[in-house]
Amino acid sequence: MSAMVQHAPRLLMRGFQLPTRIVSKYWGILLLLIGWQLWIVVNQFNPIVMPSPMGVLRDFMAYPEVYLENAAITLLVAIVGLVGGMLIGSSLAVATGLSPLLSGLLSPLAVLFSSVPVVALIPVIARLLGYNLSTELAIVVIISFFPSFVFVSTGLRDTPAGSNDLFKVLGASTWATLLRLAVPSAMPNFAIALRLAAAHAILAAMVAEFLMGTSGLGFIFAKTKDELQTEQAFGASIVATVISVVAFLIASRIEHRIRDHYT
Amino acid sequence: MHTDVSPVNRLLLGSAGLVALLVAWEIAGRVFGGEYTWPALSTILVMLGDEAQQPVFGRAVLATLQSTGMGYVIGISTGLALAVTSHLLPILKPGSDRLAAVVNSVPPIALAPIFLLMLSRETTPGAVASIHVFFIVYVSMTSGLLSASQAHHDLFTALGATSRSRFRLLELPAALPALVSGLRLAWPAALIGAIIGEWFGAPRGIGILIINAMQNFQIVLLWSAVLLAVVTSLVFYGLLTLLERATYRHIR
Repeated sequence: MSAMVQHAPRLLMRGFQLPTRIVSKYWGILLLLIGWQLWIVVNQFNPIVMPSPMGVLRDFMAYPEVYLENAAITLLVAIVGLVGGMLIGSSLAVATGLSPLLSGLLSPLAVLFSSVPVVALIPVIARLLGYNLSTELAIVVIISFFPSFVFVSTGLRDTPAGSNDLFKVLGASTWATLLRLAVPSAMPNFAIALRLAAAHAILAAMVAEFLMGTSGLGFIFAKTKDELQTEQAFGASIVATVISVVAFLIASRIEHRIRDHYT
Repeated sequence: MHTDVSPVNRLLLGSAGLVALLVAWEIAGRVFGGEYTWPALSTILVMLGDEAQQPVFGRAVLATLQSTGMGYVIGISTGLALAVTSHLLPILKPGSDRLAAVVNSVPPIALAPIFLLMLSRETTPGAVASIHVFFIVYVSMTSGLLSASQAHHDLFTALGATSRSRFRLLELPAALPALVSGLRLAWPAALIGAIIGEWFGAPRGIGILIINAMQNFQIVLLWSAVLLAVVTSLVFYGLLTLLERATYRHIR
């Protein structure tokens, strides 16, 4: 008992530490949530027009399967498309890197294509390939292909000064040069491409689902918005946001790990 | 892996690649595609050049450019403001990093209805555009402000500089290259945001052309609108790339 009295001040301070740390790290997001709630209260919005944070939370708890199922679909499409696109992009980058002619022909095109507004292409591809899941996958693959092709090509070429000559002098075969010099030097760029493509992949999956109405979070968003189930529409958006943030964090962590390992 | 191609050859090869692509497009359109799947390039160009359609395309491009420009400017101002503020008041940094990341991660299709409530139909596309621009500029500026070398910082400390003059004379100029790179990348992001924002009820714009053409199976119109979006994006992207090269040359 007396021990508690003795340590009370320290315990009090310790008790304040956790909330203080949360506020210092998340003050922006907390501000957003509070602002959201206040805005609803001030404007007296009908929940159909604009739901409150509490309303959305209630919908989460009422229909968890809807959210989980569709989140899984969107995530699956995004991940498979991302991995597929990055693999194709990287392998093509390696293949064309072996031939100066090919890379001279294709690289400017790839850079051109990668600055094309991605969402403008989605309706075109959707009309071309039809409104289904495989089209969605194709869209994400295409979107992940370009950053990886461009960045890996640059990375393969930007070997450290003199290292190319060193390998040649030591009589290394093309394959060995590729494996031990070019690929490792391209890894940091690969990581950057991964981070960029991850963000775009999830966004593209959602927009594609929204436009084509197949399944997944984007489709749920479109459907529930039209049916005025605004709370569920918002819930879908929030889940998508959380997934994007988590994906961004994971990709950043991977990028740091790769950068530490390869530089 | 292979010796680098000379710049002139690279330009020639690049142009050859572009020409090859355009020719392949034309052939594909005529042989495999058709008006309802993959139009030939010439068909699309004919529609774009059609005098009766010009006012429609012109108004759409103008509206989208206005929204994109507005979003671009707003995003840059807010991104710079938050970056500079959290740099000068480091206690705010972790929170502002997370705030920017979360705001950027909300899917634009979810943001549009919210902005529609807060603003009008015409200004929503600009607002959606500003979000991604804000994030890109924020990230570029914060990393740019931290990019001055330690040696320079030590020099300033040794000369007894105040933090105000250190900021003005060292960190701000050091941030310029990263900022301009961010500005270049932010333009296509602004255009994407504007197009998505238009899908939710803007009166006119390239996004409206795209969505209407898609829903009404007007494939040639769809491709024409997309081509307009692509060209708009590339023109400004090219200008910003030139600005970036000039800045890098000047700062180095």
